[in-house]
Amino acid sequence: MKGIVFNLLQEVVCKEYGDDTWDQLLDDAGLDGSYTSLGSYADAEVVALVNAAAAALNLSAQDVLRWFGRRAMPLLAERYPAFFSPHNEARSFILTLNNIIHPEVEKLYPGATTPVFDFESVEGDRLIVGYKSARKLCALAEGFMAGAADHFHEQTEIEHPACMHHGADKCVFHVRFHK
Amino acid sequence: MSDSTNDPVVPAAAVEAEIARLNRRLKRETAARKEAEAIAERGLRDLYQRQQEISLLESIAAAANEAAEVEAAMQHALSAVCRFARWPLGHLLLASENPDEALLSTSIWHDESPGRYGALRSLTESILFTAGIGLPGRVVTTCAPAWANLGASDEFAYPRFPEAQRAGFSSLFAFPVMIGSEVVGVLEFFSPELQSPDQALLRLMAQIGTQLGRVVERQRAKLRLMHDALHDPLTQLGNRKLFLNRLQHFMQRAQRVANYQFAVLFVDLDRFKAVNDGLGHQAGDDLIVATAQRLTACLRGTDLVARGNDTGSEDDIVARLGGDEFTILLDNIGNPQAPVRVAERVLAMLAEPFTLENQQVFISASIGIALSSSGYTNVQDILRDADIAMYHAKQHGRARWMMFDQDMQEKALRRLQLEAALRVALQTDALTIYYQPIVSPGDGLIRGFEALVRWRHPEYGLVPPAEFIPVAEEIGLIVEIGNWVLEQACACLSRWQRTYGCAELAMSVNVSALQLSDGDLVGQVARVLETSGIAHGTLKLELTESSVMADPDHSLKIFHMLKGLGVQLSLDDFGTGYSSLSHLRRLPIDTLKIDRSFVSKMDSHEDKRQIAEVVVMLARTLGLDVVAEGAETAAEVSALQEVGSDFVQGYFYYKPLEEQAASDALCKQKSPPVT
Repeated sequence: MKGIVFNLLQEVVCKEYGDDTWDQLLDDAGLDGSYTSLGSYADAEVVALVNAAAAALNLSAQDVLRWFGRRAMPLLAERYPAFFSPHNEARSFILTLNNIIHPEVEKLYPGATTPVFDFESVEGDRLIVGYKSARKLCALAEGFMAGAADHFHEQTEIEHPACMHHGADKCVFHVRFHK
Repeated sequence: MSDSTNDPVVPAAAVEAEIARLNRRLKRETAARKEAEAIAERGLRDLYQRQQEISLLESIAAAANEAAEVEAAMQHALSAVCRFARWPLGHLLLASENPDEALLSTSIWHDESPGRYGALRSLTESILFTAGIGLPGRVVTTCAPAWANLGASDEFAYPRFPEAQRAGFSSLFAFPVMIGSEVVGVLEFFSPELQSPDQALLRLMAQIGTQLGRVVERQRAKLRLMHDALHDPLTQLGNRKLFLNRLQHFMQRAQRVANYQFAVLFVDLDRFKAVNDGLGHQAGDDLIVATAQRLTACLRGTDLVARGNDTGSEDDIVARLGGDEFTILLDNIGNPQAPVRVAERVLAMLAEPFTLENQQVFISASIGIALSSSGYTNVQDILRDADIAMYHAKQHGRARWMMFDQDMQEKALRRLQLEAALRVALQTDALTIYYQPIVSPGDGLIRGFEALVRWRHPEYGLVPPAEFIPVAEEIGLIVEIGNWVLEQACACLSRWQRTYGCAELAMSVNVSALQLSDGDLVGQVARVLETSGIAHGTLKLELTESSVMADPDHSLKIFHMLKGLGVQLSLDDFGTGYSSLSHLRRLPIDTLKIDRSFVSKMDSHEDKRQIAEVVVMLARTLGLDVVAEGAETAAEVSALQEVGSDFVQGYFYYKPLEEQAASDALCKQKSPPVT
């Protein structure tokens, strides 16, 4: 897992629950916690952190990821405004996810594995999003989508009819955006 | 007991301050880390970007170098750029060869979703992108990249925007392919995302545009080379190679397709050399170019009329084989009259005067026609036969066409045999010289001889000079023959002068145009005079009007040199050519010869007699002697005497005699007449 994800998680946790909570999570997870955005770290570390957070916040790990994804979006918008500025709606932004994630990850970490999204437009405001990743972080992806809707001041309804955690070979989201 | 120094009581305020200080330090460190990360990320991103750009350029350069066709290199570039920039659709437009014309909207695309953009693609291919029309047109006008974004104020200026939008695109880009400052093509791309190219992309596309421009340039150079290899640089007509290629093609079709016929016309200008020599090489070139234009116009304008039942004339070609030789290949002729009609039109068109060097020049052509119906299997054969027919047209008086027939073939064959035999003749003493006495009509005494070459062939018998002299002239053998005659005749004259003690006895020797123009005539004459030791002023060289007038300035120079050697000069065939009297006045000649055509039957044809009179008067005015040749009857001789011809030559007195017979005649004259 890329260091940026740990950095974002730290920022989100510190912002909402204070620096001590982050320290506590690291202690609970048994991690030393020095992450740089340039580094790459074991997937197990993010799992441990998410589980620790779930225990501390009394939430499911999936909820923690959803929460994290949603809260991380404003931070991403701050760090990488160029990816957001061409868009004036969540839908068109989300359509570019592959184009953003793949090259950006590739730039910093040649050869890294990345999630793959596919899109299918159904009706005007509905989008079917496929998600496929060895890490099965579909909840994080869902959180990102919700966060993107927030960013563009939109409401969103997200259904998740197929999930890799339940044996599907890819996750499927039905997403509806509205202002 | 606790030691207060080891266990001090730290005041709460100090602890607070320490924590605040540490927090500040932590914030500083975090900020520094983030900045360092940002710098490193930027560096990595730039590096990555640069590597992507380099590999894009490398891949385009490699494709550009390998591509045999412009289209392949362009197709590769479209795909590479699309992959690089993540654009799903790219298109090529090529500038037309004619700079005033529109861009050619090619069917060369990079399309990642075949079918999906069908409507946009057909619309694009149907639009004529002239300068200023659409994005590509804007690129042509400005020679710079152009792009258009959905929602921009100028989006309505672009005819395809609504369709592009329907296809899900938000931005359109167009980049020029350049050779120097010329736009030779446009690459256009469609992006679903709203974006404007940044400086890096513009720089990159400029490099790609230059790179691809080189491919176009290379292609143009290749096409030019191919064109040059098959075309005549002066007239831009097809050359011999192109002509033979086409001919080969036609011939194969003739063998395959029943009733398919074609014709070859061999067109040769009459007296082109006279124009070239008289008015200069520039005028000669101008005439060739003008002729080429007329021939081309001749085919273009009137094919339907010429052909009757015809199926299309694109395959007819005019070619220039070289010099003043042109060929016309007529495709799919319905009947043998078709090429004749074309030939007649060519003759008519060439009969119109040309303006060269501000002068009106009249020219004509001789045309030979060969038809494919004769069943040729070799391109050289049909070309040869058209050439032979052309030669016959020339022989029959020029300014006419002739169609090849078998008889011509036989004559041509005999000519070839003559050529070969003539070369041998010179080495085997098969040539001999006859001497025809030249007589003063008053006393009937021999005053001189004209040396005439004769050829006795073991098989053909006596070959008439009219048949072999033109052959010798054409193959250049005339110079050698002429020199040989000169030597022999002078040696003979020397003997006679010594034997009969008549130092006045003269010898006339014919000099051909070829000897005059490029032989070492003066040196040769000087050597012969020296060797033979004949009396001064008794060698008379005879030149025809036409050979003198071919290059009057050169002739004048040579004449003065010959006069310097003490040689007499005589103008042969006077009145049959087209000499100008002003030239005649300048020439240092001694004698005019009245042509036999005026002498023959002059006693009964008043006009001939008058011409002879005029020639004599002219000679008197210019201080020249007159010799009349071809006098066969007493009546002709007395008429010549009346008009005042100084000397007469002809069968009436003597036919050309072998050396011994001539010698006998001289001897007889020396003895007192038997009374």
